Amino acid sequence: MAIKDHPPAAARQVNFRNSAQWLFGVAGRVLLALGWVAAVTFVSSRLIPVNELTAGFLYLVAILLIATGAGMIESTIASFVAMLCFNYYFLPPVGTLTISDPRNWVALFAFLATSLTASQLSARAKRRTMDAIDRQNEMEKLYSLSRALLLRDPTRPIAKQVVEEIARVFEFTGVALYERGSAETYRAGFEDLPAIDSELREAVIRSQASRDENRALLITPIRLGREPIASLAVRGGSLSDAALQSLVNLVAIWLERAFSEQAVNRAEVARRSEELKSTLLDAIAHEFKTPLTSIKAATTDLLSDPAAKLDARERELISIADESADRLATLVTEAIQLARIEGGKFQLQRSIHLPGSLVSGALRKTKPLTNGRNVNVSVPENLPLVSVDAELIQMVIAHLIDNALKYSPQHTPISVGARENGNHVIVYVVDQGVGISEEEQSQIFEKFYRGSKQRHLKGTGMGLSIAREIVRAHGEELSVRSKPGEGSEFSFSLPVADGSSAL
Amino acid sequence: MSAGRILVVDDDPQIRRAMRTTLTARGYEVADVRTGEEALDELRSSNYDLVLLDMNMPGIGGLETCRLIRSGSEIAVIVLTVSNSESDKVDALDAGADDYVTKPFSTPELLARIRATLRRLTHSPDQTQLSQLEGRGVSIDLASRQVNVRGRASRLTAKEFDVLSYLIARPNKTISHRELLQAVWGPDYGDELEYLRVFINRLRKKIELDPSKPQFLVTDAWAGYRFQLPQS
Repeated sequence: MAIKDHPPAAARQVNFRNSAQWLFGVAGRVLLALGWVAAVTFVSSRLIPVNELTAGFLYLVAILLIATGAGMIESTIASFVAMLCFNYYFLPPVGTLTISDPRNWVALFAFLATSLTASQLSARAKRRTMDAIDRQNEMEKLYSLSRALLLRDPTRPIAKQVVEEIARVFEFTGVALYERGSAETYRAGFEDLPAIDSELREAVIRSQASRDENRALLITPIRLGREPIASLAVRGGSLSDAALQSLVNLVAIWLERAFSEQAVNRAEVARRSEELKSTLLDAIAHEFKTPLTSIKAATTDLLSDPAAKLDARERELISIADESADRLATLVTEAIQLARIEGGKFQLQRSIHLPGSLVSGALRKTKPLTNGRNVNVSVPENLPLVSVDAELIQMVIAHLIDNALKYSPQHTPISVGARENGNHVIVYVVDQGVGISEEEQSQIFEKFYRGSKQRHLKGTGMGLSIAREIVRAHGEELSVRSKPGEGSEFSFSLPVADGSSAL
Repeated sequence: MSAGRILVVDDDPQIRRAMRTTLTARGYEVADVRTGEEALDELRSSNYDLVLLDMNMPGIGGLETCRLIRSGSEIAVIVLTVSNSESDKVDALDAGADDYVTKPFSTPELLARIRATLRRLTHSPDQTQLSQLEGRGVSIDLASRQVNVRGRASRLTAKEFDVLSYLIARPNKTISHRELLQAVWGPDYGDELEYLRVFINRLRKKIELDPSKPQFLVTDAWAGYRFQLPQS
């Protein structure tokens, strides 16, 4: 956050004073200094006549007082005038500007040299004192700015309060702050600095400070690290380099704080809406599944109890009710899964798992479907551990198994397995079913898409869509290879966990 | 003779009706209540073998009810819930439940879970040799299911007891997850690693001096669990 391109030490003061006014002030003080010299001359030559030695000392005292009270220019002019007066009124021949005794020449020049040196020294001391007072004022202002910002109103934008406080504390007539991220300009002070926007943008882009003495305007970029994040324009006030640097640093810190607060707020809003969505979905799931539970309890009880002694018609009708309840339950579950997963805004709960336990977990979920089907499972024992959300990945595998079973004839086997591939584990589900034509392969992951010839099949058409969303959330991709008439292979990769963590 | 006394806790009247009918037909004695508060009252006044506990109820809710039941009793608890998420399962098991059934469930599945939960481990003869275990400030009495750790006494639930006694009967030997699950819960089980994780943690809290650094119930990463006999 360094400010470059500043004039060197000679012009350390960023002074926006009116030069005519300044000239007028100097002229006034010179006249006053000359008055002092005249007064000393009058007193020493007319009122209380003294010898040339005493007169010389009196002149020196006057010069020192002028140097301390006014400045270099005033005391230098006064020194020359005093030398002339000293020569005219006190060095013989008195009343002329000539000097008869050569020793008096030495005295005259000794006087001039002493008075010039003394006035320089004393003026320098005075300037240092003034500088120190200025620095102290600036530090006090910076301190009061930081304090004011600490007590800021948390409900208003920080940038706005920063410019207002700068204008108030440093008494600038106009302050403008351009924030790069939001492309917004904040203004304060009674001057609006209306036409400054393009210059502020320029300062950020070029990352360069600029100074315009005519308009008493200073524009400086504000950097965070090396990145310019904003620019600040101030008008009508004085500020040393060091103070400007501190001010810029202070603004940078506050802007950074504003950015991080905004980020936290955004995350909080997202979290709350996610929480609301989740609560709503839980409530819907509960409301739908409660009546389904009593239906299922009744139908499955009758169908499974040999003591119920159902005739064929009763068994058929109860089976219809039972299967429809299953279908409704799956529909609700999948619709809620999809709603939860869609938009990718859900939290993965990753942990370390054996690929084999993911596959067996999925097979457990699909047990009612795989009854009577030939399912080949092939998961090598020595596969590396993967870092995944186990519940969701099991859901993916279960959807793929369900899909394979649905789209292949009853008598054909399906294969489920996993294999290692670099730093990934590939999980695959293969069927020997009807296959998917190339045009259809791009559509099968669409929501509610069903195979063109299989519209009679049970299912929601959401399974593959859910599966792909979950795999994508893990940063991986679900892909399909298929030839019509020969079958399909769905596969996806899982990231291998780094290091080994114990169960 | 009744197959067992079951208390059904659910706020939905239809589910209570269905449970009463199906369970009574299978020989269980069934009572039902609408809330967790009523369940706690009922459990104080009568004896039951098992509680079927709904999670989503008005009032104190299922999870808290489960905790309160567990704080005063070792009765078997099966939780019924619509949520299928791993974290909800673990929460329920952590609260002291013995098993977990997702709504909607089929009656045969529920009956199997009830049987597995009420099922007791058949005691092998070598177990009697280790009915008392003393060492390093811990004493475990398998006969009374009493555990004493530095003078702090606690009792084990039936399933906790079965897990522990199965491991103690095979000391210093790693028992695979599957073997342990099938031995304690039944042949239909084998992949429910979260059950073991929770039950082992519950046991460690009761029998270990420092549950985070177990000296008896040792995890053999990715293989199973082992009961390490105190060397004294």
